[in-house]
Parts: sequence; structure tokens; C-alpha cells
Amino acid sequence: MSNEKKMSRRDLLKLAAAGSTGLVMSGLPVRVIAQDSVTIKVQTAGLDDNTLQPVADIMVARHPNVNVEWVVLTGIDHEEVAAKILALVAAGESIDVGYAATEACQLFAGQGLAAPLDDLVTGDPDQDFWTDFFSDVHPSLVEAMMYEGSLYEPPRDFNAANMYFNTNVLAENGFDVPGPEWTKDDFVEIARGTTKKDDAGNTEAFGYAWTNRLWGSWMPWIFVAGGNLYTEERAPGGDWVWDGYYDGDAAADGRGGGFRWREPIANSPEVVEALQLNVDLWQEGVTPDIEMGSGQTLTGFYSTGLLCMTPAGGFWAGRLGNEGMEKGEFDVQYWPNWRNQKHQFGTGGHWLATVAAAPDEAWEFMKIEVSHEGFQSSQFFNPVIITTPSRRSYSQANAFESTGPANSDVFYGTLDDHPSTSPIPAPPWSNPMTTIFTTGTSNAMSGAMSPKDALDQMQQELEDLTARQPQYYGDD
Amino acid sequence: MTANLMRDPGDVSAGQHRLQVITFVAGKYVPIILLFMLSIVIIAPMVWTFSTSLRKGKDSFTVPPKWLPTDLAIENYAEVFEKVPFDRQIVNSMLITWGTVVGQLVSASLAGYAFARLDFAGRDLLFWVVLATMMIPIQAVVIPVFIFLRNMGLVDTLWSLILPAVPTAFGTFLLRQYFLTIPIELEESGLIDGVNQWQLFYRIYLPLVKPGLAVLAILSFNFHWNEFFRPLIFLIDNENFPITLGIFQLQGYMMTGSIAVVLAGVVMSLVPVIIIFLLGQRYLIEGIMRGAIKG
Amino acid sequence: MTTAKGAEVGGGGILHWLLQDTMDGMRRRRAILGYLFLLPTLLGIFIFTAGPVFVSFGLSLFRWNIFKPPDYVELANYQRLMGDVRIAISFGNTLKFTVLAVATQVSIGLLLAMGVHRITQTAMRYYFRTAFFLPLLMSGAAVAVVMGYIFHKEFGPLNYYLGLMGVQQIPWKTSADWVLITIVIMSAWRNLGFTFVLFLGGLSNISREVLDAADVDGAQGFRRLWSVTIPLLSPQILFAAVTGVIGAVQVFEEPFIMTRGGPGNASRTAVMVLYEAAFKNIEYGYGSAIAVVLFLVILAFTVAQMWMSRRWVFYQ
Repeated sequence: MSNEKKMSRRDLLKLAAAGSTGLVMSGLPVRVIAQDSVTIKVQTAGLDDNTLQPVADIMVARHPNVNVEWVVLTGIDHEEVAAKILALVAAGESIDVGYAATEACQLFAGQGLAAPLDDLVTGDPDQDFWTDFFSDVHPSLVEAMMYEGSLYEPPRDFNAANMYFNTNVLAENGFDVPGPEWTKDDFVEIARGTTKKDDAGNTEAFGYAWTNRLWGSWMPWIFVAGGNLYTEERAPGGDWVWDGYYDGDAAADGRGGGFRWREPIANSPEVVEALQLNVDLWQEGVTPDIEMGSGQTLTGFYSTGLLCMTPAGGFWAGRLGNEGMEKGEFDVQYWPNWRNQKHQFGTGGHWLATVAAAPDEAWEFMKIEVSHEGFQSSQFFNPVIITTPSRRSYSQANAFESTGPANSDVFYGTLDDHPSTSPIPAPPWSNPMTTIFTTGTSNAMSGAMSPKDALDQMQQELEDLTARQPQYYGDD
Repeated sequence: MTANLMRDPGDVSAGQHRLQVITFVAGKYVPIILLFMLSIVIIAPMVWTFSTSLRKGKDSFTVPPKWLPTDLAIENYAEVFEKVPFDRQIVNSMLITWGTVVGQLVSASLAGYAFARLDFAGRDLLFWVVLATMMIPIQAVVIPVFIFLRNMGLVDTLWSLILPAVPTAFGTFLLRQYFLTIPIELEESGLIDGVNQWQLFYRIYLPLVKPGLAVLAILSFNFHWNEFFRPLIFLIDNENFPITLGIFQLQGYMMTGSIAVVLAGVVMSLVPVIIIFLLGQRYLIEGIMRGAIKG
Repeated sequence: MTTAKGAEVGGGGILHWLLQDTMDGMRRRRAILGYLFLLPTLLGIFIFTAGPVFVSFGLSLFRWNIFKPPDYVELANYQRLMGDVRIAISFGNTLKFTVLAVATQVSIGLLLAMGVHRITQTAMRYYFRTAFFLPLLMSGAAVAVVMGYIFHKEFGPLNYYLGLMGVQQIPWKTSADWVLITIVIMSAWRNLGFTFVLFLGGLSNISREVLDAADVDGAQGFRRLWSVTIPLLSPQILFAAVTGVIGAVQVFEEPFIMTRGGPGNASRTAVMVLYEAAFKNIEYGYGSAIAVVLFLVILAFTVAQMWMSRRWVFYQ
């Protein structure tokens, strides 16, 4: 036993030496990891196993008896990855650590597949780790990972919907990158002004384009128009994190125990107006036909100068570089102001499976992933940023030095400078909700239905869906 | 049939004759030209796939389209293996497909023989039951099958695809038809030679239905090599995927994968079936032409 | 030990008894052998096809998300299904697709076969046969991936060449009016090879005398096609229709990969809603209810085809 303790202490020393904030040795007994050979199964989305391998390497270096096995699940978007995880658990296969973005966080929590982390955090002898972590992570990200008072995932990354510009296209048409307070009308002017058509009336270069999905898409317009898909309330609880780790942080004031999205409001006038704006731009030929999973088209358009603006988050910075775009050829700005400038984001991280065979080692892995070492080695953030780090200290301008954009401070600024920013609606029934949302969207965006009719139908479907759900949220 | 078109012009008048010649020439060449144009349209997507798979990623969407693989960007093919465990997935596809094909050949030849040549109570009823299940697609029963496989602990293993595919109503039906074409007299001569029942089936009958076995093997190979729906549901981890899912995966999250790399995967997935096709073309085409029909 | 049919014989003895070649007890031996030979197939069909049909019926009466115990809800899933717009549209799409796809495959396959059948030159026949057959070797998934690019509105080669002919850009994948047609074209492209080869075989089986007799009667052009060729090919046409329908009602990966069922529900199919219900929304009971309806639809198709074949198919 003493041997194990010493090992862990040495780890802590290493951690302290490497960490940029300087951890204080607490002298409390550190958690002990068993010496028997243990395999933890970590599920990752997409092709992230290579990306996360350095984190696993740290884990194995510290605990040579632990073996990290990847369970790689893919899908075109979060809801498909979530479906795969559900199938995996349904098939009786156990995983120790699962991945979920905001889209599926409450889904796994609501099904009882993810374990609440409250006691693990508050009971962790290494409180400095958590003090340091929470001080580096905006409270809205933490709140977005909560469900009915409990925390289910330490946020690893997030992406807020900001507006990307192809600066060459802007310049050719006599525009500059707009300032942070630009408006919807400025946007429409730029979108129209950068659209080019041939003699036959076919658009040759588009002012604005997006992909049909829950995050991004036209959802940012719903928020700035003053609408939402569902009513947004805060569950009670969560004081342990706000009082315990965010005491004195004004940004944490008024936060609760996670969101409750109870009543669908998809056909409210604000939402109709937001969809109408997008349908108008499409009918004018400013926006191309929208598709699901059209990432190739979008990057193709954008990097070949056939597109001026598109909603994206920090994840696009490195990916555009990979597509051959040079620093300075693109830039980013806040979402334009309409009735307000409320931004939306989604955040991602790993959750601990209630069925985990090796919960201690799994938890240790989760901690390493969001530690300074994790952030310094993970290929999500190195050598270039391919998704926005949840930790403020890794989202600063220097992190985007090699790739751009010049306005990279808007990424974290969306959280710091826009207190109204909140997550995309994602109740525990987010999977069928997303299908209803994308279906209704393309009903309107293909001209098959008017925005109002499409949203009336969407509202009806959402009401039926919501009524079928068991009670996932408490009464008050 | 061409002969029928060339009717004796004999005693028709000169004007009618010229008209007939024109009709004949047009009748002979216009369809060929049309067929030829259509064949180009049909082959074009495959040519485009091949040439784009050898083009640099950023040139994938060139307008006008290019047809010659000028860049020879072989690295797209290497990248397939970096993006997904394609080598492993090729092996998986091979195991799933061959496992299924061999299993089907064994089970269907036994069952087909029994239905065609053995006499027992309830044979016709059982045959009718087997035939009826031919119409039930896997999709209609996928939920119970998934639950069954889950209870057996087979989900996310290659067995989940092989085992349920081995019993084949279609294969049984097909081989029964082949066994039926073999004259019954043969059996009597076989018995005289002192062959036992197993030898009668294995040594005498089975070699005679080789064309049927070849047809079943090729059709089944093509079907299971290309299968998508069952793997999508019964397999979960990347490492267990066949290449159909590998190609799907290459499109990447939000389909941000490089088009050229995706197409390189498509081309590689085609190679084994094309080889099988070239080897078994005669059996396959003749099999479709004859075997599947007579009933 | 190896007494012919004693109840006391051991395992090896039974095998020997079963296989021996004497006439003694032959009928019974062959009957037992028949059951033995059928066992793997029958057992497998019972476990993986026939049994699950009944299990589906049972499951459809429950509400079950697999993580919690199922709730017995009687016919609630069917009630919900009746009022579900998505289901109605998706089954409608499958029906439309099935009719269009089978009609296209059969008619164009027939025309191609008739064209190639006239060609006597071996090399040219070989070329056409290979060219038309090749797409059949591609998986539906690969076809959907490739065609997703070919049919792209702005960048796709197809719209480019149509544009040269003065055709406006067609929203193949993104318009509710076009998308089902696009999927029919894709599937016809892939499956033509099968119907083509089938009919080519059928044509070469038609005896010369019959055609000559038709010639003597003066049957020409369309009349000959309608009253001589098609009836003579009716067994092949029936087979093509039956296999075509079996394949078409299962349509899944083409729309799943290319359009995800969109725009709206315009390319969502019956199998896709089943997949979404069970494996995306973890509603196994509701998914089973959809599966039962799918099963009944297929049953209706089969019965209709059998009825038609009795009336219409002419065996030479």
C-alpha cells in the first residue's frame, strides 16, 4: 500500500512541476489506484482515438497497470453517436467512460447511464485540482453539463456559434470584417453584397451557407431573434459547485442545477421570423440548398472562395488550415445583434458510466483529460486548435497564432462578454427532438412548406414527443 | 433475330426496297449507337470515382469535371488506412462474407437436397414455410434478432452477421431447383454401385449441382460483401466494421472527410468483388439466366 | 452392435444405419436423413426469421427502452402510429419508390436486353454485358456516397453536363419533388445489370420457331413486343418484379447516407423510421409496431404478386 501511495505522490509532484498554475501539495492522502492490471474502455466520437492517445499515454505512464482501450463510435452528428452508445449499452457491453456533447448529456444522465460526479469532485482529496480547474472554466460550460442539480461531465471543449468570414471575398466586394456590435441588417447587406450570380441566374458565389443540424444551422438566429425551441428554466441545486468553487465569481450568480427544457415554443413569432429570414436568403440565391452533414460542401465552398459567411466555432480554425487556408484568409466575429445578442454554444466531455467496471481508473482518466497536462498534450488542442478548449488559459490568442483567425478572442469572449450566452436546447429526449428539428428545417428550406406551416408542424410534433416522455425534470 | 430482319426483298418494287434498306440500316445501327451512349453514361460514375480518387483533395470538385487521373495522388489510398482501420475492416469483410458464403453453401445444399430428393412426411409443408420466409426481409425482424444476439452476447462480434445469414431460404430454393434437374435414374445406378446415402449426396449429386453452388456463392458474396444495414445495427466498434461502414465512416464527422480519400476507399472496396466477378462471370450470368427461373 | 434398427444402437451405430445402402428400412432412413439435412436451415429460419415475426408482434404491445423494464401498453403503439405523419409519409415513400424503381428496372432492363440480343458480334456483346452489369458489384453504401457527389447541385458533374445542354441546375438531393426520383435513378443504375442479364437469358431461350411464327403473322414493332416477346418473357419479368420488390421495400442506405431522409421527410423510408424508432430513439416497442406494419405491407405485396402471376405468367 505504501508503495502505491508513493507512486501517486510522485505523480502529483510531476503534475505540480508541469502544471502552469503551480499546485500546492496538500499532504492529504491521495486516492489509491489498484496495482492489478486494469483495462478501461473509453468511448470516443468520430476518429478521436488518435487525437486522445497522448492523454491515454499520460494515464499509462502514471499507472502502468492501466490499459486504455478505445471504443470508437462514429456518426454524422452527435445524435447518431449517441444512438450508437445507447446500442452499445443496450447490447450489454460495458464502457467505463463515454463521450457526450451538450446534445446528449441529459440523455445519458436521464437514462441513468451516466453517474453524477458531485461526490467524486467534492470528496476528492486533491481539492486544489478542482479549484484550479473551475477557476479556469467558465461557469456556463459547467452548468450546461448539469442535470437536476448534479454535474455529469467536466467540460473539455465547447463551441459557440460565431460568424466566419472569407476575408478575400469580403475585400473583393468592398467590405471589412464587421465590428463586435454589428447587426442583423449589416449581416444581410454583406450576405447580399457578396453573392454573385451568372447570366442564367445560378449563384456562382454564395454570401452565406450553413448545415442542417441542431447546433449552428439557423439556431443562432432563433436565439438573437429572442426565441428558443423550448422554454429554458433552471433546475434548483448545484450550490455545491457555485458556492464551493465559484464563490465571488459574478458570472456564476444566479446559476442553478442545469437546464430544464420543458415546453416547446417552436412556432412562436420570433422563431418564425428567424426561419423566414433564412428562407428569404435561400430564395434570393444568397444561401445554397441546405443539407445534413454537408461539411465537405461547406469547407469546399469556403476554401475555394465561393462562400463568404458561415456559422462555426473555434473548431473551424484548425480545420480550415488543414484545407489549405492561410492565416488571414479568414476571420471570425460575434453573432450579429438582432433583438439581442444572445449566443448559443455546445460543450463536450466525457461522462462516467454507472456500469463502469473500473470506476476509479475511469475517473482518474477523466481528470487527466481535463488537467493541464491533458490540455497540453491532447491533439484536439495541439499542434493546432481543432475544437475550442473549455479552459480559458488554452483559448487565448497565442493558441491561434499559427492558424488565425485574428479575432480569436471572440471564442472565449462569447462566454466572458456575453452573459446571456446559453447552451442549445438538449433535453433527455434530444435524439428524436433533433430529427424533428432538422426535418422541419428542411421542410421550410426546400420550399415544401412555408416557415409558419413547417414550424406549426414542428411544434405539434414536439408537443406530442414531450407529452410521451416520462418525468425527467422535477416539479420545482 | 438479325436473320429475321433480313427478309428477302424479292419481288418488291425498287422504291419500297430502298425504304427497306434504310429502315434496315437504321434498325441495325441506331440501337447500337444508343446502347453505346447509354453504356458510357452507366460507366461514367465509376470512371469519375476512380479518377477523382487519384486527384488531390482540393481538386475534387472541379468544374468542369476531369476524367483523367492526372495527379496520380496515391497518397489518398494510404490516407484511407490512417483515417479508419481499413486493413482490419477488409479482413472483417472477408471473414463475414466467406463465413456466410461457406455456411450457406453447406446448409442450403443439404436442405435443397432434402427437399428435392428425399421423401418424408410434411416435406411440402416445410418447403412452403421456407419459401414464405424468403419474402421476409431482415429489416422486419431486426429488433427481435438484435435482442436475441444481445442475449447471446454476440452483438458487436462478426458472428452477429454470419450466424443469422447462414440459413438461407433463397439458397435452399435455388439449389432445390438444381437438384431437381438431375434425372432420378442416376440415383438407382448409384445405389447399384454400393454407395451409401451420404456418398450418394456428397459424391454423386453435389458435383452435379456445381453451377448452382457457384451461382449461390457469387450472389451471396456480392450481397454480403456489400451489406450495410445489419452491420450498422449489430456492430458498434470501428474495429469490427466491414468496409461498407468504413466507407461511410470515411465521410467523417459532419462529412468533413476528403472526397478523394472517400472515393479511394470505394475503389478498394470494389476490387474483391470485381475479381470474384471476373472469375465467376460465366456461372453468375448463366446462373441468373437459367437457374433462378425454372420453377 | 450395428444391428439394423435396434433401439439400443449407439451413436456411431445410428449413423451407420442411416447411411447404409441396403433397401432394408430405406424409406424411414431417408426420411430421418431428410429431417437431419433440413435441421440447420429450419432451425436457423425459426430463430432468425419466423420466430422473430411473432416476437415482433409481442414486442409491439409494449413500451420498452431496453434500459428499464417494459410496460404493457396494449395497442397504444398502433394508435400512435396511425396519427404519426412521419410514418404515413415514409411508408408512402417506400411504396412510391418500390413501384417506380421496379418499373424502371424492368422496363429499361428489357429494352437493353432486346437491344443487345440483336447484336451478334461476340466482343460487342461482351462489352455491353460487362458495362451494364458492373454497377451491380458496388454496394448500396458506395453508390450513395458516389452519387451524393455526382448529384451535387453546384459541383456535381451531372448538373454540369446538363448545364451545357441548357438545363437549369436541378436540386437532385435538396428538393422534395426531385429527391425520390434521384434515389430511383441511383437504384436503377445499380440494379439494371441484374434485370438486363435476366432478360437476355430469357430472350435466348425463346425458341426461334415461335418468333418465326410471329413473323409470319406479321407481328411487328410494338405489337410484337406486347403480344409475343413480353408474354414469352413473363416468367423472367415476374422473377425480376418479385426480387425487385423484395429489394425495393428494404430501401435504406441510399437515402440514409445521401439525404438522411430529407428534405423534410421527402426521402424518409419505412425501414428508416423503423431504424430511427428502435436504434436512435430507443423505442423498441414502437419500432416493433412499425416492423409489424412493414411485414403486413410485404405480405400484401406478395399475395398480390402471386395472384397476378397465376393470371398472367405464361410458361413456355
